[in-house]
Amino acid sequence: MKEYRNYFFKKLGWFAVTLVAAFILNFILPRLMPADPVAAIVARMAQGQTDATGVQAIYEQYIELFATDKPMVEQFVIYVQNVLRGDFGYSIAEYPRTVNDVIRSSIGWTIALQFPAIIVGWVLGNTLGALAAYLKGNFDRLLMPLSIFLSNIPAFGMAIIMLVIFAVELKWFPVSGGYGYDMIPNNSPEFVWSVIVHYQLPFWSIVLITIGGQAIGMRSMAIYELNADYVKYARFLGIKDRKIIQYVFRNAMLPQITGLALSIGTMVGGALFAEIIFSYPGIGTTLLTASLGGDYPLISASTLIITIMTLIAVFALEILYGFIDPRVKAAQAE
Amino acid sequence: MKVTRFTIVTLLVVVAMMAAALPSLAQETLPRNETLYFNGQQWGAVVGWNPYSSSMNNAMAIAQGASARVTMFESPYLYNMLDGQVYPLLANGPFAWNDARTEITFSLNPAAHWNDGTPVTAEDVAYTWASHVKYNTPTGAGNVAYIEDIGAVDEMTVVVKAKLDENGAALNPLLVESYLSANYVAQKAWTQVMEERVGEDATAFLADIAEDVVFSGPYGPFFADESKVVLVRDDNYWGQDASMWGKLPAPKYLAHNIFADNAAGTTALKAGEVDVSQQFNSNVQDLWLEDGLAISTYLPEAPYQIGASLPTAFFNLTGSSVGLDNVAVRKAIAMAVDYPTIIANAMTNQSATFEQVPRSLMNPTAGEQALYNHEAVADLQWVGNDIEGAKALLDEAGVVDSDGDGWREVDGVNLHYVATCPNGWSDWQAAIEVVAAAGAQIGIDITTNYPEWSVYQTVVTKSDEPLPEGYDIFMMWSNGAGPTEPWGRIRNMLSSEWVGMTSNWSGNWGGYVNPEADALIQAIPTETDPDKVVELYTELVKMYLTDVPSFTLMYRPQSFHTVNESVWTNFPFDGDGTEPPVPPMDCTDGWGIACLYNLELVNP
Repeated sequence: MKEYRNYFFKKLGWFAVTLVAAFILNFILPRLMPADPVAAIVARMAQGQTDATGVQAIYEQYIELFATDKPMVEQFVIYVQNVLRGDFGYSIAEYPRTVNDVIRSSIGWTIALQFPAIIVGWVLGNTLGALAAYLKGNFDRLLMPLSIFLSNIPAFGMAIIMLVIFAVELKWFPVSGGYGYDMIPNNSPEFVWSVIVHYQLPFWSIVLITIGGQAIGMRSMAIYELNADYVKYARFLGIKDRKIIQYVFRNAMLPQITGLALSIGTMVGGALFAEIIFSYPGIGTTLLTASLGGDYPLISASTLIITIMTLIAVFALEILYGFIDPRVKAAQAE
Repeated sequence: MKVTRFTIVTLLVVVAMMAAALPSLAQETLPRNETLYFNGQQWGAVVGWNPYSSSMNNAMAIAQGASARVTMFESPYLYNMLDGQVYPLLANGPFAWNDARTEITFSLNPAAHWNDGTPVTAEDVAYTWASHVKYNTPTGAGNVAYIEDIGAVDEMTVVVKAKLDENGAALNPLLVESYLSANYVAQKAWTQVMEERVGEDATAFLADIAEDVVFSGPYGPFFADESKVVLVRDDNYWGQDASMWGKLPAPKYLAHNIFADNAAGTTALKAGEVDVSQQFNSNVQDLWLEDGLAISTYLPEAPYQIGASLPTAFFNLTGSSVGLDNVAVRKAIAMAVDYPTIIANAMTNQSATFEQVPRSLMNPTAGEQALYNHEAVADLQWVGNDIEGAKALLDEAGVVDSDGDGWREVDGVNLHYVATCPNGWSDWQAAIEVVAAAGAQIGIDITTNYPEWSVYQTVVTKSDEPLPEGYDIFMMWSNGAGPTEPWGRIRNMLSSEWVGMTSNWSGNWGGYVNPEADALIQAIPTETDPDKVVELYTELVKMYLTDVPSFTLMYRPQSFHTVNESVWTNFPFDGDGTEPPVPPMDCTDGWGIACLYNLELVNP
């Protein structure tokens, strides 16, 4: 137990250091971009302005509000104080909305789309990959090229293909939105059905691409494991195939679980292409706009969330590995 | 089997997560026959409903300007871009200047009232202005140099006093007049409530999202989230009085689903989920010619739309681009450009050509075209693709390739320029590529570069220092149609008053300085003799075409106005017989809102 405690605290320490470094970088990097985000606000305020002094006054007013005229160290101190209170400030691009409001209003859609898509894609992909490795023959000959094909279709390409086929041509699914274009959100069965129907194309466009990559990875790992010495030894011992396969897939699964954890950690970055192609609500397009527009507060807050989620996912994984595979704990606790 | 069960459970969890986040509303579906759907106006979620602020990102309700959007808030007058006239909305009859042209008087329509039932009074108009000035709103900052005061003579009569020059004349009567059709009237009582809420702090005043706002227009807030915004008709709207429209607008709801980009908007238009499209639909004619859809534009043939603004390529005249101080170089580049290709590629022919509407500083509307002497400037106009003419001009000016490397030189330096516009602005990028291609044909090396908009705007609007490398030829917009046009557009394109501004969102980004042009620009607003006005405008056009500080690449409509008539019909079109003519302003802007009262259902 002591060994495990050492392992746990050592990991925790490293993740704390990583978090602090990432926090500082999250703050600094967006501010190194050669754009003046306050100009975006002034652009809205000053278009059609006919008085130079008035425009200048507006510009200075917002420079002061966002403190972009202060030294970066001072800005950082203010930022840390605010973040500790859970206040990420105003979004510059969507001013006067706060960063918290922008993220809160769209992140639910993103997680509801991304999380199940990642899980379903991961489960289906790994199952198919494992079956291909185990069954071989025609199943493998069919699955491999299909997986390679799917995994090489860019995300936007898959979304467009599905949009054209299933929405525009066949008209089986709606072309855009998170719910019916003529609906107002409510708790009725019609609305819930509308949400489900609108969910399908963005969901499957992510799932199909995920399946391809996962299947290829799992198949390779499983083939490697199936030919490992311990499998041959187990067969010599007369252990049943079903039992052997359990061991094989558990071992083959380890790297795949790492990939899953990272995918879940970064999912709040949004499903950008699905959101754009299907005009699906979510945080991806908001983040893209923020990045292009130099919206420091929004970029810093969202990258911080991504960082923390990734760190939590990886940390949980490391701790879990310690339980699953004693070799990991033993090697790293030294 | 396990996978199937797992998938079902996951989906149920997702639906439950979504449903849990949903508000409970009685209204579930917007009846199609009562709803007019839009695209191209609202991008991103609505922030708020404050009519004083330009940061509400609420395009369906708040858009002040030459043709103000009057769905929810109203201005005293409505501008009609087709005839250049203004028509009373909150006002009762036309406004009148006093003899000295120092103040305007108008009265309010006694029928006009707010949605809380209280009348719209002169005090509301006066307090709105006072608040704009007090809180330095964009409207206040933009007009305070020209408007001395707006006051209430009595309950229903408003007087607008102009700022005067040293001779006692109004500094700019045009801008004083335009205030009346470009800006909303807000309720005094509600404004005071908001002031109290924000403690009279200017920044908080403009940041207030004003969910309790009182309005006088035909529609009010109904629903807004990340996916859509919906306005609902106020059936107690004052405009149904016989003195105004005499009835309510036809649609009960105005709804705008939020699309990620133009492609998604076009797909929805084709699917019949959009009735009025205010966005660029590429090759719009294919929608009815190829797809056979009940979709149309204001004009049945190219250019399909009424051009109003002049997207323009500016030359860097701030001294940091070698050779661009030579007018022959500038004019040669402008002459060599293949404008028909720009119009065909960038605008898919939704722009008049320069053969149809010869270049000047005017937009293609008949009103503006009548404001200059066409014959007097005919020799100076060019239609493009004139490679030989451009070469001859350069040879004559001594701008030749003396070292034989294929590129012309000025003072021994090869002419190399970078043409630029923001990345992702696909129509502008297509135009800039054509500009660059023209350079190679006349011995001037022009390459392209497309910075992100955030960087581009920071550089281009910083007019207090020379433009940096990479901004030799760059695109920006011009004013569209409005009661101050073409004067406002010309001022923005040529006036040197913008040179030196730290944050210049007005114009003349290339840094052109011509005191004669400045003097003419200053003289026009106070000139009352129409012939003299034409003379002054003609002089300005001559200067522009001679000095070529910038060159227009295409004409662009004030609003793209494409309509799908599968549910609603009787939208405005060229020659529809309406009097005054209803402009193609998407049924929401200026006099264009008259469209809402003319709409009929295809299947009642």
